[in-house]
Amino acid sequence: MGLALFYVKKFFKIVRNEVLVLPSRVVVGLFFIVLLGLPLITQDPYIVRIVILTSIFAILAASWDLLSGFTGQMNFGHALFFGVGAYSSALINLHAHIPPWGSVPLGAVVAVLAGLIVGIPCLRLKHTYLALTTLAFPIILTGIIFALPQYTGGEFGLSGVTRFTNSLIGNYYLHVVTMLVTAVVMWKITDSNTGIIFHAIREDELAVKASGINTTRYKLLAFSLSGFFAGIAGGLYAHYMRIAGPSTLEVSMSFMVVIWAIFGGAATIYGPIGAVFILYPLLEFFRIWPEYRTMIFAAVVLVILLYMPEGLIHWIRDKIETECPRCKIRNAATRKTCRVCTAGLD
Amino acid sequence: MAEPFLEVKALCKSFGGLQAVNNVGFRMEKKEVLGLIGPNGAGKTTLLRLLTGILKPDSGSVRFRGKQLVGMKIWEIVNLGVACTFQNMRPFRRLPIIANVMVSCLSPRSMRRGEWVKIVRAKAMDALEFAGISDMALEKASTLSQGDLKRLEVARAVATDPELLLLDEPFGGLSPAETDLMAKSIRRLHKGGRFGRLHSEGPAMIIVEHKLQQLMKIVDRIVVLNFGTLLAEGTPDEVVNNPLVIEAYLGQGGGQ
Repeated sequence: MGLALFYVKKFFKIVRNEVLVLPSRVVVGLFFIVLLGLPLITQDPYIVRIVILTSIFAILAASWDLLSGFTGQMNFGHALFFGVGAYSSALINLHAHIPPWGSVPLGAVVAVLAGLIVGIPCLRLKHTYLALTTLAFPIILTGIIFALPQYTGGEFGLSGVTRFTNSLIGNYYLHVVTMLVTAVVMWKITDSNTGIIFHAIREDELAVKASGINTTRYKLLAFSLSGFFAGIAGGLYAHYMRIAGPSTLEVSMSFMVVIWAIFGGAATIYGPIGAVFILYPLLEFFRIWPEYRTMIFAAVVLVILLYMPEGLIHWIRDKIETECPRCKIRNAATRKTCRVCTAGLD
Repeated sequence: MAEPFLEVKALCKSFGGLQAVNNVGFRMEKKEVLGLIGPNGAGKTTLLRLLTGILKPDSGSVRFRGKQLVGMKIWEIVNLGVACTFQNMRPFRRLPIIANVMVSCLSPRSMRRGEWVKIVRAKAMDALEFAGISDMALEKASTLSQGDLKRLEVARAVATDPELLLLDEPFGGLSPAETDLMAKSIRRLHKGGRFGRLHSEGPAMIIVEHKLQQLMKIVDRIVVLNFGTLLAEGTPDEVVNNPLVIEAYLGQGGGQ
């Protein structure tokens, strides 16, 4: 009893001293609570479905950020990993009769292989050339899929994939919790020493080599990690929609990912996730004016990118928080002095 | 006979029609500080880049402790113990200064050495302290001045714990006071010892420099390059009085 009380007190202490002091942490906490508590408020199938799809695409956008935002390997063909994850988990599910619990991770492993296959020829390329080359890969795979309809279902895709569970709430929690866990894992990866090397490779690859780091290994690591998480997203998508079709490999899908990530702020992980949670429901909301839907969407994206080139989430974070000029600790914007070193914040 | 510490033999490199480094060869002992001088465009930086593997030579060999360096990857050479700095500084501008040095501390060579508790951050901090910019550890690298960037380059190279350090114009663009400071830390590094968690056995150095006055005080021996070829070699006094060198720097009859 005493021990339990100790941990409860410790928990509240951490919440008070670490979370409530920073608005951004409060927002992240609220995000977690709202997502996990949403079924208590509403069980409308339409809303639940949108949140599930948003979670799946949030994983995808964050995985793009891991590769292109951090390591700077501009990938305009990120739908490849998504499609490979979707198709391979669907194939594994249909032919080997492995339930979704097994087929989604296996599909993600296949997507890692796809990441390596794309990554190895792309090691020598940079910037625009890399982007154009990666753009080609999903188109090649679409061609292969159309060429082998007896295995891949051709234009109709693979249908009849089993769902994780048929209960609404079960599906909701499965997807949302997976999204939260993978997001935390990705954020932890980028926050570690490996993340510093990823950042450095984006800034100046030659200087990283001259620091004695095997950049080939780290670039391939970035490709395969990104492929893994995008593959998980693809597998979840195939099992949720019960179909793996060529639409997962479309060029528009690749560009959607890029738009989400840039909109939220590249090289942050939380930026793309926040952006997906704003943009995807927004696009659904604009269904009330079906004729102007995509036009309004494009206008919103354009305005945001014009006035907040660092990304929306980044911009908001800079507005609600200021960095202490002396100790570089972030503070709520309402404070006059730094909460750690008491230096003035002006 | 023991292997020479560093042996460069018949090294050639040309860019198109320009023979940047032509048949250069020299030897270096352990614990030696070698100055590399020459007029602009003599091929000094190219020679350093050939040694570190950033450029591939057309022919010739570079042997470091008996190991052939030609054909190795840059990071393999760095992990053997040959570190270099860039003439035009190349920091990771959007990262804090400490993270710039942590990248070096994460190299396999640096992780192998030192204490068994691998506190990368603390080690990076010690490298910064050695270079004298530890007070700015959390600033972004883009806020640094020219002199501090040079120091950052040195800190990054020192963090890999090199046995041979190639410094490309360490005094370039520094004020006289900063030059003195930098010269002092180079001498201190060469003496070796322990800088916090960083061990240094006093690396051998090759220094490319134009400020000859400062350079002469540090180096044991000087190699002079001109138009890619080896012009002269010897102690600072010998080189300064060599008529060939005077001619290369000042033109014919410039010594009178």
